[in-house]
Amino acid sequence: MRWGMAIELKRCVGCYECVLACKAEHFLPPEIFWNRVLIGESGKYPNVTKLIYNVRCNQCDDPACVKVCPTGATQQREDGIVWVDEDKCVGCRYCMVACPYQARQMYEDGNAQYFPGQELTEHEKIGKELYPHKPGVVTKCVFCKERIDAGLEAGLTPGVDREATPACVISCPTKAIHFGDLDEPNSDINRVIKEKHGHPFHPEFDTKPSIYYID
Amino acid sequence: MIQRKPYDFMVKYQQQKDWVDGRGNFIAFAFFLGGIAGGLFLASAYFDNLLGIFIAFLLTGLMGASYMLHLTHPMRFWRMVVKPGTSWISRGFTFIMLFGLFTVITMILMQWAPDATTAITTFKVLAGIFAFAQSIYTGFAVSYVSAIKVWNSAIVPILFVTCGLSGGLAILLAIMVGQGSAQIATLENIIRVVLIAFAIIVAVYLWNATYSSTAAKDAVIRLIGGVLAPLFWIGVFLFGIAIPVVISVITYWVHDASSALLITAVVSEIIGGLALRFAVLKAGVYEPLLPSD
Ligand code: SF4
Ligand code: SF4
Repeated sequence: MRWGMAIELKRCVGCYECVLACKAEHFLPPEIFWNRVLIGESGKYPNVTKLIYNVRCNQCDDPACVKVCPTGATQQREDGIVWVDEDKCVGCRYCMVACPYQARQMYEDGNAQYFPGQELTEHEKIGKELYPHKPGVVTKCVFCKERIDAGLEAGLTPGVDREATPACVISCPTKAIHFGDLDEPNSDINRVIKEKHGHPFHPEFDTKPSIYYID
Repeated sequence: MIQRKPYDFMVKYQQQKDWVDGRGNFIAFAFFLGGIAGGLFLASAYFDNLLGIFIAFLLTGLMGASYMLHLTHPMRFWRMVVKPGTSWISRGFTFIMLFGLFTVITMILMQWAPDATTAITTFKVLAGIFAFAQSIYTGFAVSYVSAIKVWNSAIVPILFVTCGLSGGLAILLAIMVGQGSAQIATLENIIRVVLIAFAIIVAVYLWNATYSSTAAKDAVIRLIGGVLAPLFWIGVFLFGIAIPVVISVITYWVHDASSALLITAVVSEIIGGLALRFAVLKAGVYEPLLPSD
């Protein structure tokens, strides 16, 4: 089993819903983004193309971050998900330096709040209980592994059943993001990648991403 | 805190900041201290200079302290040894520990059992191996990062170790001047060779980087003609190469060079070594993820 994503670039309208869904799902502190929308342009007037790429950690099959981490805090599960054990991370930032996709961030200020000088919002208060992020450690997208694990335990199928599927995938209003098992030949994600010629983002980085993009 | 805006993030060459800004300054210092400590040990062991060995040990301690300041959770430092199979930080940490251990044994033997020559030589060689490893691993930790093209070069470890050696030799020169040693002329000859080698390696490194990729070329342009030019030309070239080379040439012709002149060369070389670490780390850029045209 190896979880992966396929993102249809032509369907993405750059609404940032996936970014916000991720923020809300994981109660991410200010300045921390596990998921981003990159917007750029290519070409020259009048032949200009607007580029919108929704990016996050690629859950690489050959992850540079796992190799360089001296403590073993950054590790890879059997299903391919790369995650950081907050209790083992020393904050050396080698993984941040080594990730060619710059998908990692250091959560530095544990007291940062969305409305400084005011009381914490209800959402922030709940987040500190439900999803407490420890400051001084590296953080990144984990493919909503909690949703996947709970879903599998409940007999659901990630990528098919909403409850077992990453928040960014189910929140996308244009259904631009597909999710599923890359090791399952008949999965929807493999069909989409095959039929629509999905390709990894910057394959030359040589980390074997589990996220595919469809032009 | 490093601010990364979701909008323009990664659409341009992005300078790495994690290992050079804020807390990252301490890892640059640690790399520098590790290099000169290793170089000083090797030079001092060759010249049998106990004070030099002791200062190399102290500098390694300072390197460790600088490392700790870089970490956000320094009390977990012991965890850093668990991945020597793939992580250069893990390997380096092991090298530093072993260097410290063998150096302490060497110093104890040299001071209190000077007749145990076989044991002294054995531990000196062991400490020397780890001094070299401590000096060169910092280069490997950097060059292993394939995401940053200007770092991802086999020349970086050689550059770092040569720079560490020249700094170590310079410190030993200061020690020998203070001790009024008779071996200063021999040491100066070695310094001349190492300095010339260092200058050549810097040139080859930059020249090679311009051919390796557009990101590395961009980094070199920033180093020699962009925002990092003052750091490179004043720090690395003037202090690290030009001043020490000029003084070396002067001392070659004027055999009775003044201590002040030699100390100027020493200080200059140390500043140059520090500037080199910062210049290389600051020059590291990631390629833009989106086309930048
Ligand atoms: S994208 Fe970066 S952080 Fe994510 S698995 Fe790959 S190398 Fe690691
Ligand atoms: S910052 Fe943490 S997760 Fe990253 S390499 Fe260092 S110890 Fe590992």
